[in-house]
Amino acid sequence: MTHALPPYAELCVTSNFTFLTGASHPEELVTRAAELGLAAIAITDRNSVAGVVRAYSALKELARLRAESTPEGAAPPPLPKLIVGARLVLTDSAVEWLALPTDLAAWSRLTQLLSLGKRRAPKGACELTQSDLLERAEGMILIALPPDPLDDDAPKATRNTLREVARAVPGRGFLGAAPRYDGRDQARFDALARIGQGVNLPMVALGDVLMHRAARRPLADVLTCLREGCTIDTIGTRRLANGERRLKSGAEMARLFHRYPAALRRTLDIANACAFQLSELRYQYPDEAQNGEPAQDRLERLTREGLHWRYPAGPPPKIIHRVEKELTLIREVAYAPYFLTVHDIVQFARSKGILCQGRGSAANSVVCYLLGITEVPPESITLIFERFISKERGEPPDIDVDFEHERREEVIQWIYARYGRERAGLTAAVIHFRSRAAIREVGKVMGLSQDVIARLSGQIWGWSSSTPGEDRLREAGLSLADHRVQLAVRLIGEIIGFPRHLSQHVGGFVITHGRLDALCPIENAAMEDRTIIEWDKDDIDALGLLKVDILALGMLSAIRRAFGLLAEHRGQRFSLASVPPEDPAIYDMLCRADAIGVFQVESRAQLNFLPRMRPRTFYDLVCEVAIVRPGPIQGGMVHPFLNRRMGREPIEDLGPAMMEVLGRTYGVPLFQEQAMQIAVVAAGFSAAEADRLRRSLATFKRMGTIGTFRDRFISGMLARGYEADFAARCFAQIEGFGSYGFPESHAASFARLVYISAWLKCHHQAIFTCALLNSQPMGFYAPAQLVRDARDHGVEVRPVSVNHSLWDNTLEHRPDGALALRLGFRQIKGLREEDARWIVAARANGYPDVESLWRRAGVRPETLERLAEADAFAPLGLTRRDALWAAQALKAPAPLPLFGPDGEGSTEPTVSLPQMTLGQEVIEDYLSLRLSLRAHPLELLRPRLPESLPHERLTQAVGRITITGLVITRQRPGTAAGVVFLTLEDESGTANVVIWKKVYEAFRTAVIAGRLVRVTGRIERDGPVLHLIAERVEDLSSLLVTLGRPQIHDDDEGAAQGAQPSAYHRPRPTARHPREQAKKLFPSRDFH
Amino acid sequence: MALADAHALCPDLNTRPADLAAEASALAALRRWAGRYAPMVTADGADGLIADISGVPHLFGGEAALRDDLQARLERAGLHATSAIAETRGAAYALARHGGGIVPEGKVLQGIGHLPVAALRVDFATTEALARVGLTRIADLVGLPRAPLARRFGEALCLRLDQALGQREEPLTAAPELPPFGVRMTLPEPIGLQADVMAGLTRLLERLCITLAQHHRGARRMRFELRRVDRGTVTVEIGLARPMREPKRIAALFAKGVEELDAGFGIDALRLSAPLTEPLAPEQIGGAPGGRGTIRHDDALADLLSSLGNRIGFERVLRLLPAESLIPERSFVQAAAAFSETEPCLHRGPPRPMVIFPPEPIRAALGTPPCRFRWRRMSFTTLRAAGPERITPEWWLDDPAWRSGMRDYWRIETREGPRLWLFATPQAQAGTEWYVQGEFV
Repeated sequence: MTHALPPYAELCVTSNFTFLTGASHPEELVTRAAELGLAAIAITDRNSVAGVVRAYSALKELARLRAESTPEGAAPPPLPKLIVGARLVLTDSAVEWLALPTDLAAWSRLTQLLSLGKRRAPKGACELTQSDLLERAEGMILIALPPDPLDDDAPKATRNTLREVARAVPGRGFLGAAPRYDGRDQARFDALARIGQGVNLPMVALGDVLMHRAARRPLADVLTCLREGCTIDTIGTRRLANGERRLKSGAEMARLFHRYPAALRRTLDIANACAFQLSELRYQYPDEAQNGEPAQDRLERLTREGLHWRYPAGPPPKIIHRVEKELTLIREVAYAPYFLTVHDIVQFARSKGILCQGRGSAANSVVCYLLGITEVPPESITLIFERFISKERGEPPDIDVDFEHERREEVIQWIYARYGRERAGLTAAVIHFRSRAAIREVGKVMGLSQDVIARLSGQIWGWSSSTPGEDRLREAGLSLADHRVQLAVRLIGEIIGFPRHLSQHVGGFVITHGRLDALCPIENAAMEDRTIIEWDKDDIDALGLLKVDILALGMLSAIRRAFGLLAEHRGQRFSLASVPPEDPAIYDMLCRADAIGVFQVESRAQLNFLPRMRPRTFYDLVCEVAIVRPGPIQGGMVHPFLNRRMGREPIEDLGPAMMEVLGRTYGVPLFQEQAMQIAVVAAGFSAAEADRLRRSLATFKRMGTIGTFRDRFISGMLARGYEADFAARCFAQIEGFGSYGFPESHAASFARLVYISAWLKCHHQAIFTCALLNSQPMGFYAPAQLVRDARDHGVEVRPVSVNHSLWDNTLEHRPDGALALRLGFRQIKGLREEDARWIVAARANGYPDVESLWRRAGVRPETLERLAEADAFAPLGLTRRDALWAAQALKAPAPLPLFGPDGEGSTEPTVSLPQMTLGQEVIEDYLSLRLSLRAHPLELLRPRLPESLPHERLTQAVGRITITGLVITRQRPGTAAGVVFLTLEDESGTANVVIWKKVYEAFRTAVIAGRLVRVTGRIERDGPVLHLIAERVEDLSSLLVTLGRPQIHDDDEGAAQGAQPSAYHRPRPTARHPREQAKKLFPSRDFH
Repeated sequence: MALADAHALCPDLNTRPADLAAEASALAALRRWAGRYAPMVTADGADGLIADISGVPHLFGGEAALRDDLQARLERAGLHATSAIAETRGAAYALARHGGGIVPEGKVLQGIGHLPVAALRVDFATTEALARVGLTRIADLVGLPRAPLARRFGEALCLRLDQALGQREEPLTAAPELPPFGVRMTLPEPIGLQADVMAGLTRLLERLCITLAQHHRGARRMRFELRRVDRGTVTVEIGLARPMREPKRIAALFAKGVEELDAGFGIDALRLSAPLTEPLAPEQIGGAPGGRGTIRHDDALADLLSSLGNRIGFERVLRLLPAESLIPERSFVQAAAAFSETEPCLHRGPPRPMVIFPPEPIRAALGTPPCRFRWRRMSFTTLRAAGPERITPEWWLDDPAWRSGMRDYWRIETREGPRLWLFATPQAQAGTEWYVQGEFV
């Protein structure tokens, strides 16, 4: 059938990587082009090549599917050829150009041209002129897209432009003609043909495609609205008149261009001339030779040195053997420079005292350990070097290194300085529309009212990517029977997953030997001094480019600070490697689930898991880190693991082959490597296939082709005699691992940080809390919980004081030798670090009053007010209000001594202000510091909550009870089928609440928005772990506001006669809704 | 609280959008009514009235009786109001907004001391700043020395405080009202001739227009009342297409009405009023390049609209305005000419017919485009055809006329002469049908 179609190549396709314009994914366009039997399809986005790799990967996947579905021997039907290019929109000309590189050199010129335009424009824009284009047009085919000749205001200028370019690119210039279906197509083609004759640009047929099917027309209109900032009712004539800007078959194009068959034929000539393929992009990694020493030699020398300092007593023979094996393999695949790059980065960081540690699969390599990139001793875990590099796979290894989050920028700038901006760039991250943004933006376009939108999107939890269901709509006051609402919901569903803009990846660097902009365009990032390339990490993977991940880890900052404090106050010096190992006190602490602030295991799921897991060795921590992850949870691996570990269930024998893989983890696959090895051992995959399965899971999900792999995997396992149930579980886990699983080596790297942070917490609680507070924001808990945890562990916490605090939280020595934590100015909301530094610098022997601080430190009056509100003047004998009163008097930015008490002014009469109640003080503490050392709000509210049980008494409670507390964390894991977990806090402790889906649906608003909630439910015990299974959830946030009210005055005598009782009688702090205010006062941390 | 939140709490909640203009005019009406209690009544914010009742209460039997009377009358009218009487404007303001009541003479402080500081007519920032140092009630402020207060919270706070306590004067000024635009003339002898009436009208018009000019206003509606000797009254009323105050042009519009009126035994008094006026800035007349007496184009059009409107009704004189839509039927709107301005029509893109009418089906159409068809009982043969122009419905609207899906429009030149705008409905369920929707000239 395909042979009967007139051949046609579509050369002008705008994908949705022309943000807010194109209405189809590159994958959809390629798939549709294949269905239509087109000879070729070019992806030409506006001043960008961001979408081409997606199309390239999709085409590869299609080829694989076709090859699979055609019988042996027969040639699979041909797929369209992919042409990469860009649609250049120039600043000085009304004519747009399609630039299609014909060879690698022309591609480099195109990317350099785009880099030039992007580097000189602000983020996201591109400024190019015609002369820029002509300078770099060699080897490119240029197709002109002039303004519509029937509506052109300046036909002469257009003609001149076309003529100039035609002269500059002889034989490679064309004039594009796209049908518009506005009744004038034939007249337009005639006019274009005439112009083409005149300027010597042959006419070529184009589709000017915006979408893969006409059904995307509504979405295209919505995108137009978003771009133009209008609503669908005011879009007017800017909408698409018809759905004809879709991919068309050759037959249809032939019908439209029946009078110009040459224009159609020319598309094939051009497609044929564009010989460049993305697979040609073979780039060179920097050679990393130093002082004439070749990279491989240098790597081997450094590795040998590593054997000496890692194993002062001489390395075990097994390790020596491994090293030799690894080095040989590295030599064969020539990846030595890559190791050296990472080594140099790590060396730089060490020289600056920046803590760093490799994560991910790199810990599978002994060489990485010997180079100091990773810290996990190779003896402690199973090493699978093939997971890291394999010859068959021909794919680059992936070394990720974590740095302190506050000092990562130094490392990034060092890389830029070392390689130059032409040679190093951060990878991009494509920001997609997620539920929340989709609802907000589409809702606005479709004319849903602001508050309905706010309500709908407010119900969305975190980064969900699903459309709002019917029940949610009803709750927002919308009816699905309404035509508009139906449309809006459909469009929201369609737009989710659309790219919105490019942002920078967290830290993936691409480094080249030659110029990076010859490989792909470079553009400015939103952050100063950063440049990013246009492709994201999947694209980089698809093209086989090497990248180094420079990641940020808050815990490393905290650990570095803690080590610093240890050295300062206790005179003990430690490094990541020298913390005493296997200390039983630490495991005791973890078994008690006393782990607030400890890396990874502080999350609520981990806290519940710790007492059941009862870790006793380092390897237990490795398992602990790996198991509480969506991969193993979705795979149903948690309960068998626990039961077998506690000996409640026998370890089933899966045969020697499987036991070798799964023996260490009681026959339960926990790690990525194990899942991959199962695919090999049990399902008969080759090692390379198994890894490809894992790596391309993301692509499979986009293309919807996971099914074939599943069938192969499960039938493979069944054929080898495994149970169907076990096979399904294994596959589910591989699916989960695609995005959420940990390799064992990575879990081990993280487990080290778990151990180190637990060691700090166990032995130096004050130092640990101080370091954590100074590294905020990070981790799972807010400062209030960290401070509370420290106090529970007997650490004295002292309030912020203008005469004692520094910007950071500090430690003070108590007479008994213990350390007390002094809160720093950084805890005060709205205080600037610079002001704090001035206050400290001008402090000398302390400030006697507010005014002296203002005079000496020269801070602005607002800063004084901030300090007063934080009660930082208390050591001066000033109450919060007195200090504020004094601060309010100082209005001018600089002191005027003439009118002060020293000058001509006189002393102010003293004023006595009303006393604050304890409740008010607590509220003010929370407002300013987000924590209070005075009292817990619940303590003050307790008399009004007689029915609620304090949390400390939960352990003795049975049956149905009621508790009340501040919501400190709120979680809805994707793995838990709509179950919500709340952690409540009261003056006596915390409590875990589990809210099943049904209860959640009934009390949704209270669960999502409540800050102070009362929960009634049943107590459930699982070993030492306590849960309250909620049956009823009430939002009591309004009670919090009453704390701040002054005592009600009963001196109403003399009040006006005939006064009616009114809500205005008692002053209200603000006119806001109590819940809104509570939200500001007692923020919770919400996770998903 | 957001409306959606309120709806969630109370699903049966009845809501109406606020109509600020209507509220303002209702308040103005209430102000006029409140004139029965005091000579000086003025609006106080968007939600209040204030009256200076000095020397009035004894007429009602005391302050309490006055207030009861006011409340009772308002209640009978179905209005909920809180009212307060105090010896200072500030105190009355504060109390009226916090429960209402009467502050006895000389006890201002006791009367309003318990009220929150926000009652003092100070801004939100000041209220917040006061609250932060614990000064939440008016009584808290009274005892404090004024200088530190003024230093921290500004002179305005002290001013308001003093005004409320009567330590500083605050006179009440009522906003000036527009005079009624009306003039009258009593005649010594009854008149009956049309020319005499017109002469009288001209004199009145001149006087009225001078008053209008003084207040920078122009009339949109004018009423001419004539009292006959038999005590009957006849009225001639005209509307004007734009605000106007030129006697000659207005007089011309009255001519027809005066012509038709029945003078009976004669007319002995004339009254001319302008019940509806609009602002009209002074403008230079004459001196235009056309020389004296030239009426500008839009004036001429306005006169035409006025005379047409006075005959057939202003709502029936329409003008077409361009609308932003690709749907032919919605690419224009009709608006009353007297109440709209012309807008330039910047049409680009495919040509549109001069006349567009609701689609009329054609019969015996064969081919695409049809080479021969019957329309309005005439046969046509296609000479030339251009198209198709494909227009799809506006997907977000459910327009019954466009239920048949997208349309392919063709420009057809017929041998018989008419150039027609045809369309086909290829997506219609009943199969493709052809319609004529417009005619080119």
